[in-house]
Amino acid sequence: MILLRDVSLIYPDKTQALIDVNLNIKPGELVYVTGPSGSGKTSLLKLLMGIEYPSTGILTVLGRPIKSNNGRNIRKIRRNIGPVFQEFKLIKGRTALENVMMGMRFLGISPKNMKVQAIEALERVGLSHKILSRVENLSWGESQRVAIARAVARKPALILADEPTGNLDYDNAINILKLFRSFLDDKTAIIITTHATHLILEEQNASFISVDKGKITMERRGIRS
Amino acid sequence: MKSFLFNMGYFAKEMMRIIRLNLLSNIFSVMSTGMILFLLGIVITGTDIGNRLVVMLNEESEVNGYFSQDTTEEERNALVNRIGRLDGVRSSRLVAEDEAKARMEDILGDEAKILELFDKNPFEAFVEIRIEVNAMDSIIDEVRKTDGIEYVRDNREVLEKIQDITYALKIIGYLMIVAVGVTTLIILSHMIRQGIYNNKDQINTLRLLGSPGAFIGFPYILTGVILTLIGGIIAALFMVILINKAYDGVASTILFISLPARGDIINKIIYGLPSLSLVLGFFGSLFGLSSIKEKS
Repeated sequence: MILLRDVSLIYPDKTQALIDVNLNIKPGELVYVTGPSGSGKTSLLKLLMGIEYPSTGILTVLGRPIKSNNGRNIRKIRRNIGPVFQEFKLIKGRTALENVMMGMRFLGISPKNMKVQAIEALERVGLSHKILSRVENLSWGESQRVAIARAVARKPALILADEPTGNLDYDNAINILKLFRSFLDDKTAIIITTHATHLILEEQNASFISVDKGKITMERRGIRS
Repeated sequence: MKSFLFNMGYFAKEMMRIIRLNLLSNIFSVMSTGMILFLLGIVITGTDIGNRLVVMLNEESEVNGYFSQDTTEEERNALVNRIGRLDGVRSSRLVAEDEAKARMEDILGDEAKILELFDKNPFEAFVEIRIEVNAMDSIIDEVRKTDGIEYVRDNREVLEKIQDITYALKIIGYLMIVAVGVTTLIILSHMIRQGIYNNKDQINTLRLLGSPGAFIGFPYILTGVILTLIGGIIAALFMVILINKAYDGVASTILFISLPARGDIINKIIYGLPSLSLVLGFFGSLFGLSSIKEKS
């Protein structure tokens, strides 16, 4: 599903974000990418989404190569990814339902099915009572759930979540991680970046990848991998 | 394609949202576009009437061939026929002395009494030759060379002016059309860029979710086309009012100019301006949309 071979990422200002990263992530796998701030976790997700391109090495996501000048391919990859951004990137002035549907409009789903899928996703994240609320009127936690609903309503092959526990207290963070786990199935892989390692230590089925200074320093594969 | 059909309602809503987001600015853009298209309407109509006038004047372009007054009636008719067969001659006819005098009396009106002072008719018979103004030089040469013709009176200066006016009118018309087209494109593209700038977060999010550029851009094209179309309709309405006023007030006082039928001009404006605004709206929006660069 995801294959990285000696992938390095160097930003135009010469910052080395990732150095010779090798990874192989399979469908149905739950992967936690941990590491301190600035270690390269977000850079890795940016590569997987085609926001950045590898400076060296080979990267394929969902069977398609990610490289520059390949916008069409990258758009196709993104359509099969459910991203949950750190800052959510919800569209203001729209309701929760409209935001969730916005991520599905160009996937060839009929309007009726689109609405059904979006409502189901919002119900699954516990926001059935806020479907018609404008996102700017939602709390931080509710906004995050809308972002998660938008990601999963698309029924993606890969869910990418960047620091979803970042600003949450312990209980809420555990609940969010549980919510992500509930979307795991044989076809969907989930990659979550977090620097809160204490929240995931007891996870038995998941894989763990530690990143520091752009390099993978530890890799432990879970039972599902 | 399926996504587009499924989302027509969404595109229409997005268009309304984009318009509302910058309502005042968009109203001004519609007014500016309407005014520019109104000017274009005036130019097109003016050029149309001008072209018709030029055609009419062209049809009236003539030179006169004078012959010896000893020439017999038979010889005169033969001369008229010979000249009539020359290339570039529309028609030729004999104007007898009496007709020449009658014409002058018409021109002089009340002053025609002065002609009574002459014992004999002072006017000579001549061949009136209607010509293609473009072939003026060669026709005058040919007529001069024709046996029996002693003298050719041409309105060369007038005819040359007609040619110049025709040319100038066409050039001004084309320049105005280009200027109006470019101005409309600039106004529209600016309007679209403004809409894109105000929605840059949404556009960026849609890109990150894998949306095709055409899906992102379509509501902006729709907005540009609809706003320009509204401008075109407003311009057409004002043009219809202007044409009606002009025909009611002026047409009766300039009988010597045969104006095109009012209905024809109004039809041209009613269908032409909105159609043109659709085309300009589409290309202006595309031009504005080209400012969306792939960044992520």
